[in-house]
Amino acid sequence: MTWLSPLSLLWAGLLVPLVALYVLKRRRQAREVGSTLLWALALRDLRAESPFRRLLPQVALALQALALVAGAVALARPVGAGDAPAGALLAVVIDTSASMAASAAPATPGAVTRLAEAVEAVRALARGLPTGGTMTLVEAGPDAAVLTAPTRDRGALERALAAVRVRGAGADLGEAVALAAERVRGAPGGARIVVFTDAAGEGAQVLDGGRVPVEVRRVGVGGAAADNTGIVAVDVRPREGAESPDRAEIFVRLARFASRSAELYVTASVEGGGVVASRKVTISRDGRASIVMAADLPPDAAGRGALVRVSLSRSGRAVDAGAEDALALDDRVVVPGPGARRLPVFLVGPTPEPVERALRADPGVELFATSLAALAREASAEPLDGLVVYTGETPAQAPPGDSLVLAPTGAAVFGAPLGPEVQRPRLVRWEEGDPRLRFVALGEVRVAAARTVRGGLPALIAADVGAVAAVQQRPAGETTILAFDPSRSDWPARASFVVFLRNVVERARSRRAAGGVAPGRCGEPLRIPAAEGATVEVETPGGAALRAVARGGLALVPVGAEAGVYGVRVGERRTFALRNLLDERESDVRPRARFERGSAGGVVRAVAQREATAELWPYLVGGLLLLLVLEALWATRAGAT
Amino acid sequence: MSTLLDPAFLRRLARLRVVARRRFAGSAGGARRSLRRGASAEFADHRPYFAGDDVRRIDWNAYARLEELVLRLYVAEEELTLYLLLDTSRSLALGTPPKFDVARRIAAALGYLGLTGSERVAVVPFAGALGRGLPPARGARRVGALLRHLDALTPSGETDLARAVEQFLAGAPRPGVVAVISDLLDPGGYERALDRLAAARHEPVLFHVLDAEELAPTPGGDLVLVDAERGTRVEVTLDARAIAAYRARLDAFLAGVRGYAKRRGFAYVLAGGDVPFEEALLAWLRSDG
Repeated sequence: MTWLSPLSLLWAGLLVPLVALYVLKRRRQAREVGSTLLWALALRDLRAESPFRRLLPQVALALQALALVAGAVALARPVGAGDAPAGALLAVVIDTSASMAASAAPATPGAVTRLAEAVEAVRALARGLPTGGTMTLVEAGPDAAVLTAPTRDRGALERALAAVRVRGAGADLGEAVALAAERVRGAPGGARIVVFTDAAGEGAQVLDGGRVPVEVRRVGVGGAAADNTGIVAVDVRPREGAESPDRAEIFVRLARFASRSAELYVTASVEGGGVVASRKVTISRDGRASIVMAADLPPDAAGRGALVRVSLSRSGRAVDAGAEDALALDDRVVVPGPGARRLPVFLVGPTPEPVERALRADPGVELFATSLAALAREASAEPLDGLVVYTGETPAQAPPGDSLVLAPTGAAVFGAPLGPEVQRPRLVRWEEGDPRLRFVALGEVRVAAARTVRGGLPALIAADVGAVAAVQQRPAGETTILAFDPSRSDWPARASFVVFLRNVVERARSRRAAGGVAPGRCGEPLRIPAAEGATVEVETPGGAALRAVARGGLALVPVGAEAGVYGVRVGERRTFALRNLLDERESDVRPRARFERGSAGGVVRAVAQREATAELWPYLVGGLLLLLVLEALWATRAGAT
Repeated sequence: MSTLLDPAFLRRLARLRVVARRRFAGSAGGARRSLRRGASAEFADHRPYFAGDDVRRIDWNAYARLEELVLRLYVAEEELTLYLLLDTSRSLALGTPPKFDVARRIAAALGYLGLTGSERVAVVPFAGALGRGLPPARGARRVGALLRHLDALTPSGETDLARAVEQFLAGAPRPGVVAVISDLLDPGGYERALDRLAAARHEPVLFHVLDAEELAPTPGGDLVLVDAERGTRVEVTLDARAIAAYRARLDAFLAGVRGYAKRRGFAYVLAGGDVPFEEALLAWLRSDG
């Protein structure tokens, strides 16, 4: 059995004053007598000075005590006896998306976050496990993961709960429920799935527990607590043609999710330096605001850009205080500055003319024509610090760094197999949210021929025959594969083609400025390229030290949802990694998801974990208890005459 | 406000005198005899001769028969002095009617009877010490002054019977009848004071005044009883058990007073409660006559 409101057991504390009423002497009426001599002699037992009298067994006291205990237990809302029979298996799914870092109060260091509220509720469930009952914990983050196998070991559950962290953007509750259902399926004593979430997801979410009933418990129920303003996009680019060669423009986009407008300060400062720009912004309710600030951001001696911290604050003076709203995670973003202005771009093979022309038009690009053999020699000496554009033939192994592959001719690109050439494929879908396709529309583009990219790579552009453009992510870089010749399409005639190339170049420039570690979202593990067996040390923005050993050329360091700069040390080499939330859906911490049952017919029951306004009966029972106390007071103090 | 001077009370005093005369006619001839032995012609008793006694009073006839020197004693026909030793302590103010009213009425009745007889009457109020009293006087004309004096008294202070008696005796009063009118609720006790009076050749008479509530308390729930004179407090739940315990203590107390008076040969009258003061007075006259 567990308690939905264990604090209500404090009502049982009224037993103390109740018994005291019976133990304490009654208030007595004074009466003057001629002499107390005879009374004192006759009633020796009343001469004792102790304020207490002996507690005698009394029916009234027993009844009142029983009523008090029953009332307190009722207020504690015991549950579980019916829902979780003996031997039942309980699967608990915990939403670890970034919005779970929101707190009921304005985000302050001591505020209780939704995740903490959920963890505490799970602890209560664990305490109330029936005899023979077991519990399994499933985390619903960007990926669903089982935290503990079904166990009744409180220690194991507690350790798993202690390790639960906000993982970052997104929570696939459906996948997590499916995983939980898989783990509890066939439990002999029945099973159920309890989902703890703030329901801050978009639209309808199907929770398919199969035959296993699913109960959704909402945490973070509150009114003004959901007000939030977040930084949802930041971009720092050099300002061409400016009076200063280091002049850059800082683009910031804000989103507010609240019922009233707010006045905030957006401040840009150089990490380790001072404030370089600040702007006061009035943002309307449920509104968006975009601002551009100009600042001089000179790169360091290695050509790396300065790290620019953009923060939101209520006051222009306390720039690090945050926006004092529900979520602090989106009040601060760190991005790399432009770095060295010119990015080396190495052209390998017969580069299509439209591509070369577009690259040449970019003043921030320095073009070098080379060959595969020459490139192999260069890369063996020292990794290339720029973007490599392959046309046709590609090497067997991907060199470190970023690359763009155009119209590949081999059977595979860096291990990703390619399909045969298909004539006149029809482009049906492209990832508008991908930074490479930002401001790119391909609806009217016609391609003469293309090959398909296989191997499970995420598709960038999909045709009716399959993916014709994809992205290959590696620890030490990424490769954008365009499996068709742009010159054999009408895409170069459109502005979106130039924009696409600029985006690819800009991404390479950002990675170069970021020190070689790919930036990621909050909570995403750090993937740090390192030699096999090398020890990687990481210092989090909060100052915590983490350590990992590289396997397969990569050290994977799991981190919590903490935005900012992670200092990385690999041997003597020092670099950094950046993590930011920058997710509009996560910044909207208001509950808005709808939960639907799956096709298998499982029951989904959504209840608020703490429903402050709907449950009136606790107040009624509280009133009854108060009456009971008053009755006892009357009976023991005034009713004796 | 005064109940001692109103005509109804005076009529009750006059009727009391008539009743007293009729009931005790022939025993004292309208005047009380002195218990003191004197030199009148009426023989009273013999006693052994001691050196220094008046040899003229030796009964030689008795010596001839008994071969022992004895003196002839005669009833003294001197006038009697009645001292009204009236308790005016704070505890007398309580009761329904107040015990002090009962005590004053008894004193008034005694004084009235004394003054209308041939006796000298003095009023000696006391609490912790002697108060301003009325010196011994005689004659029916003094009844008015007596009643006015009693009427002016108010109860206050703590009872200290022993101290009051010591102060009374310090004035070397002429031996007489001392009517002690009190509730006797004195932590210092009453025995020593009364013994001192007797030793000084006075004849104590006890009028014990108690209220009906003191004699038979009624159940009253949880109370804290406050001593009217000393302020001491006793918490008590006035249930049947507590009342029974109190009654046992009260009975023992009353039996103690009554037994003491009997042993010493003092008259004892319990007054108060529902008993009219006349009844108490007649009870004394009956016992004395």
